[in-house]
Amino acid sequence: MKRAALALMMSVLAGGAVVRPAFPQERPSAWSLLRQIVLIPGVSGHEEPVSDFIQKTLPAHLGAERDAMNNVWFTAGSGKPHILFVAHSDELGWVVDRITAEGRVKVKQGGGLLPQTCEALPVLIHTAKGAVPGIIAPRPGYDERRRENAAPQVYSSESFEILLGVSSEKDARDLGVSEGNPVTARKIIVDYSPAQMSTRAVDDRAGCAALLDAALRFDWTRLKGKTVTFAWDVQEETGLFGAAALAKVLKPDYVFAIDTFVSSDSPLESKRFGDLRVGGGAVVRAIDSSNITPKPQILRVLAVAREHGIPIQAGNSRGGNDGSVFVPGGAVDIPLSWAGAYAHSLIEKIDRNDLEALSALIQAVVKDWN
Amino acid sequence: MTDAQKLKAALVAVFLCMAAGAGRAADVRDTLKALFPVPSSTGSEQLLAEKIATSLPKNLSTERDGLGGIVVRLGKSGAETLVLAALDGYGYIVSGMTDDGYLRLDRPVAAPFARFDAFLLGKPVIISTRKGLVQGVVAQPAIHLLTPERRKSLVEEFSLEAAFVDIGVRSAAEAKAKGVELLDAVTFMPQLTELAGDQWAGAGLGFKAGCAVLAGLAGTISAGPEPGGIVLAWAAQTKALARGRGARPSLGAARMKNLLRPRRIILIDTVQAGGLIAPIIGAGPVLIKAKESPPLLAGEIERAAAAAGLPLQSGAWAESPLATAFSDEGTEAVVLAIPVQFLNTPSEIVAMKDLEALGGILAALSKTGGAK
Repeated sequence: MKRAALALMMSVLAGGAVVRPAFPQERPSAWSLLRQIVLIPGVSGHEEPVSDFIQKTLPAHLGAERDAMNNVWFTAGSGKPHILFVAHSDELGWVVDRITAEGRVKVKQGGGLLPQTCEALPVLIHTAKGAVPGIIAPRPGYDERRRENAAPQVYSSESFEILLGVSSEKDARDLGVSEGNPVTARKIIVDYSPAQMSTRAVDDRAGCAALLDAALRFDWTRLKGKTVTFAWDVQEETGLFGAAALAKVLKPDYVFAIDTFVSSDSPLESKRFGDLRVGGGAVVRAIDSSNITPKPQILRVLAVAREHGIPIQAGNSRGGNDGSVFVPGGAVDIPLSWAGAYAHSLIEKIDRNDLEALSALIQAVVKDWN
Repeated sequence: MTDAQKLKAALVAVFLCMAAGAGRAADVRDTLKALFPVPSSTGSEQLLAEKIATSLPKNLSTERDGLGGIVVRLGKSGAETLVLAALDGYGYIVSGMTDDGYLRLDRPVAAPFARFDAFLLGKPVIISTRKGLVQGVVAQPAIHLLTPERRKSLVEEFSLEAAFVDIGVRSAAEAKAKGVELLDAVTFMPQLTELAGDQWAGAGLGFKAGCAVLAGLAGTISAGPEPGGIVLAWAAQTKALARGRGARPSLGAARMKNLLRPRRIILIDTVQAGGLIAPIIGAGPVLIKAKESPPLLAGEIERAAAAAGLPLQSGAWAESPLATAFSDEGTEAVVLAIPVQFLNTPSEIVAMKDLEALGGILAALSKTGGAK
């Protein structure tokens, strides 16, 4: 290897650039908002820090409200139609179930992440005293060859034992760890380039960031002849509970859920569906596991996007969305999205242009939808 | 931490400094933190070797062997005693590129255990290229798109056949434009976790801790009177096994033996900690007694540790391939291993106490005649 190349690599290493964001943040944008909000812990049922960030970021004149569950929303304008945009602020994770006599932490089952990909994973336990780092122990005998004909090992999140570096329950409690504390993966942002990254919890912090960005950019004094609500709701990953609570007080005519389009843009997946390209623009998530958007409504969104020069794709995939709980109450659910690869993993991937197209699309819909 | 605990910690720190030279206790942390993010896998040790060489005291002259290892000779009486640490961990190389820009992987050496590759799935990695470090991830299918059967088998049946590294490009040409070439090293993205109890976790932390302790020893020895015939070596390609009949010694260690011809050898290695009969993390380095009659040097190490009041574990754990390289008649080779919990996973855990004790024992040996 050439000396100059070595020197270049060493200088990169000396700066510790490997695990830091490799690109400086620019002026506030959907992208920079995402890079902040994605690192805030907010396991389902423990979204308070994320809700705080959202409320703090919204201008006071928008009059944001917050309920006991930590749903945050504001409403602007008046009259019909009533249009609701909703992104969920929770993320996948776990909750401390108990601490063993040896000071190891057991967790309650958390849905969504494949437990087998979490062996030897660094995590953070979010306690009243601050974040406590830990390591999820790999399964016992991880380095032993499995006997032929042995029954497959069951490895679920209940199998997890989180090591903290202590050897007794008392020492673990002295660190602040207690039952009910939320636990998240210790996130790394992987920067492929200044405009593309992977990390945990892009689902749905990207939706939160796009919605925040749109709220900050839209000139709300120009809103006429309609009611618009922006909401950041909780507990989507565990059963759309935050949206269900909002559905009791909000009766929109249209709901635009802002959430990941589960893309199969990867080398390992069938392209039979979900085949929208990361970097291809905003997405109309036309059909998923919870909702079928009527074709005329899809065409309306595509027309709005075209009118504003916003790159857009439409497709069908899997997964549910928060908007679906408003449908029985009379709303039409039109989920808007971005093509997200590797959904529900530690490396959820997103493209900056898609996120900014999504923010632009939200603003265009607020302006033009009647 | 209570006042009593703080006092105890302070006393321990003072004692360690007295035992092996002021400042060393802090140095091993600083050195390890500096070395930790530097990728180094078998056959691709150049970056780490460079980092270690530049971190050594300026009054020491270093030699490099043809594989990238570092040798530092201290004193003038030849290679009486060799202290050797491994410069390489397990990693991957770029073995191919798909037309759409994904990188394929192979291992330069055999995996340490059957499920080793499964830790790759869905993890961030770095590729060491001629243009610098390139970040990527090992692709993992979206969970929503998997059948229940495939969810179960995805990790359990994962092999390098299913490993595709995404570096955010759409073609092989774009990958090459980033500087990626075949044979570039691929390792886990470094993420150091500082746990309670002064334990640290991270990928490759065990062997890098050995490198850091040896660098600390170089600093300690160079600051004192000239020692007699000690050679320090950071050996490349220790995870590769030499070919030939009989036992398969570590290639990197075998080369150092032939290059230096030492009579007494202390091998800094790692050993799995935390099992039922395995050593305990935080209870001191481990003197491995693989044979029924350990060499005299083992007794000297035990006495040096006892005299310095430093913890030392010993036991009859399996002999390391590093030691196999030095099993000739007329040589005394012992393994002093760092207990590592979750060895060869992305989160190897080591205790700073063990590193300090190891550094202290080596420093005490170098001063009190253990090296003669």
